[in-house]
Amino acid sequence: MTSRATTFTRRVATTAAPVALVLVVLLLALNSNGYVVTIVGFAAIYGIFCTGLNFFMGYTGQASFGQNAFAALGGYGTAILTATYYWDPVAAFFVSMIFAGIVAAIIGYPTLKLRGHYLAMATFALGLITYEISIEWIDLTQGYMGYSGIPPLGVFGFELATEKQQLVALALLLLLGVWISTRLRDSRFGRALRSIAGSEPAAQALGVNVARYKLAAFVIAAMYASAAGSLFAHFVGFISPEVFGAAMVIQSFTMLFLGGIGTTWGPVIGALIVSMLPEVLRGMHLKELQDVAYCIILVSILIFAPKGIFALIGEGVAAITRRRATETAPSAAAAQAAG
Amino acid sequence: MVDMTQLLQSLVNGVGVGLIYGLVGIGFCVIYNASGIVNFAQGVFVMLGGMVCHTLLTRLGLPIYLAAILTIPIVALSGILIEIAVVRPMWNRGAALFAIILATLATQLMIERITILTLGDQPRSFDEFTSGGPLKIGDIAIGYQIFWILGCGALMVGLLWLFFTRTTAGRALRACSQNREAAALLGIPVSRMLMLSFALSAALGAVAGILVTPTQVTAYNVGTPFGVNGFIAAIIGGFGSAAGALAGGVLLGVLQAVAIVMFGAGFKNVAALSVLLLVLFIFPAGIFAGLQGGKAH
Repeated sequence: MTSRATTFTRRVATTAAPVALVLVVLLLALNSNGYVVTIVGFAAIYGIFCTGLNFFMGYTGQASFGQNAFAALGGYGTAILTATYYWDPVAAFFVSMIFAGIVAAIIGYPTLKLRGHYLAMATFALGLITYEISIEWIDLTQGYMGYSGIPPLGVFGFELATEKQQLVALALLLLLGVWISTRLRDSRFGRALRSIAGSEPAAQALGVNVARYKLAAFVIAAMYASAAGSLFAHFVGFISPEVFGAAMVIQSFTMLFLGGIGTTWGPVIGALIVSMLPEVLRGMHLKELQDVAYCIILVSILIFAPKGIFALIGEGVAAITRRRATETAPSAAAAQAAG
Repeated sequence: MVDMTQLLQSLVNGVGVGLIYGLVGIGFCVIYNASGIVNFAQGVFVMLGGMVCHTLLTRLGLPIYLAAILTIPIVALSGILIEIAVVRPMWNRGAALFAIILATLATQLMIERITILTLGDQPRSFDEFTSGGPLKIGDIAIGYQIFWILGCGALMVGLLWLFFTRTTAGRALRACSQNREAAALLGIPVSRMLMLSFALSAALGAVAGILVTPTQVTAYNVGTPFGVNGFIAAIIGGFGSAAGALAGGVLLGVLQAVAIVMFGAGFKNVAALSVLLLVLFIFPAGIFAGLQGGKAH
């Protein structure tokens, strides 16, 4: 068993530091111009998306190439309900989220029985189907032209008019999302998910209902994705099918793998770094060239650092704390290595 | 009420495009059998086949047969490049299955973007191989290109069969598909076989791309639909048998053609993807699973 004191120091190291980082980035963004605010806003939205994806791919060890489908559900749900039917943004947000969750449960039930490349292709197909529908069902989605006139985020009639106000809201929602993810990761539920990632037969033998937990992780990921889609719609005020296309899949995977798949804060840090990339790649004026750069970065990470840079730092920190912990409780080291 | 002539006409077209899906599907199987990897960038070879051939035709003014013959090794080279630069490093490091799939998906996006940057994003096409036509049977018009697709498709399957049964390299590839460790112990260079399978699969995609372009248009983004439909064809065929993939492709092409008549062209991809999900859910071993006697030939 891990002693109370080491648990506390670990919690400070793994929670307080990233929270501080998010707050520092938020403060820096609030004191700079509109462009930086936009970039950090996108980072927060993608951070929420990737945190959700991490439940399914990181904790549970499954593959989904179609989470963009649920972001599209959230984005279009919010766009249609708020811009056309003048719903309150909060109501539209939750209705879209619940809808995405129900769709994920219905579709996930047969899909998650598949394995390996069949699962990958089936989920990829989900994203493609949503993409095609968002182009073709023009009466509902306005097709290629996209949906404009989406109001900014607001609560019960109080509208967050400026981008900076919205950014604060996004950062708070991101922290909430990661907090849920952190709490769930070390709960009975999170341990069950991670046992599936370790070995499905072993998890089954330990009494974990593998199918049910996989579905739960899939639904959670879909709800996070829907939330990210809704927030994107509010933040930009405009969505089109391209926003939720295959490039979104590649970009979110780059974030997830760069930050470190399966860690609680990796997705957020990955989202932040990758969102800054356009600034670094400022010399590349063409969107296509930036996409090429994303792909090269993603493939390089997949080849050379499949656990991500955050995991690399985490291993260093763990090595130091382990040396200290072995003196008091030898089994704590094993617990830390496992966690 | 659906017009009978229209239905028959779309069936004819469906068979043509279905054979193309079948060729792409065989491309999936060739790599999968050699390595257990599903190359999600398969469709990109079809796109490159059409685009490279069009470029050779228009920029160099080559005749079609020369352009076609030159295109195939160029695209095969791109397959080898993908294998060396992306798949092999991951393969050697024992990367997870979905990481490799993701890397091939990223490669597809990268090649599409490079195509936009070098050749532009405008759709293009070139003339059918034989001018004249279409052949009229009653009210049904059959374009001459369909005969080219049929002939070349049959030729490719025949050549593949000869390759897999009569040549040392082909037999070595089949040995890899049955048991990679045993193949390595027998002295077969398994990693070079992986490269060969990528080259072969890319060449198949290029042939499909060259054949299909005159009947429609090609553009940087045609890869994904062809890749997905080829994958569906391979799955219907039970993933592993070339004849199954070809049959699966024709079945899918015809289904799509009927879907276009029933629901309009806009939703043909949605229909194909729904077929994919249904096949995966109901027949995960393929519809022709019983026919899957011999693998990879």
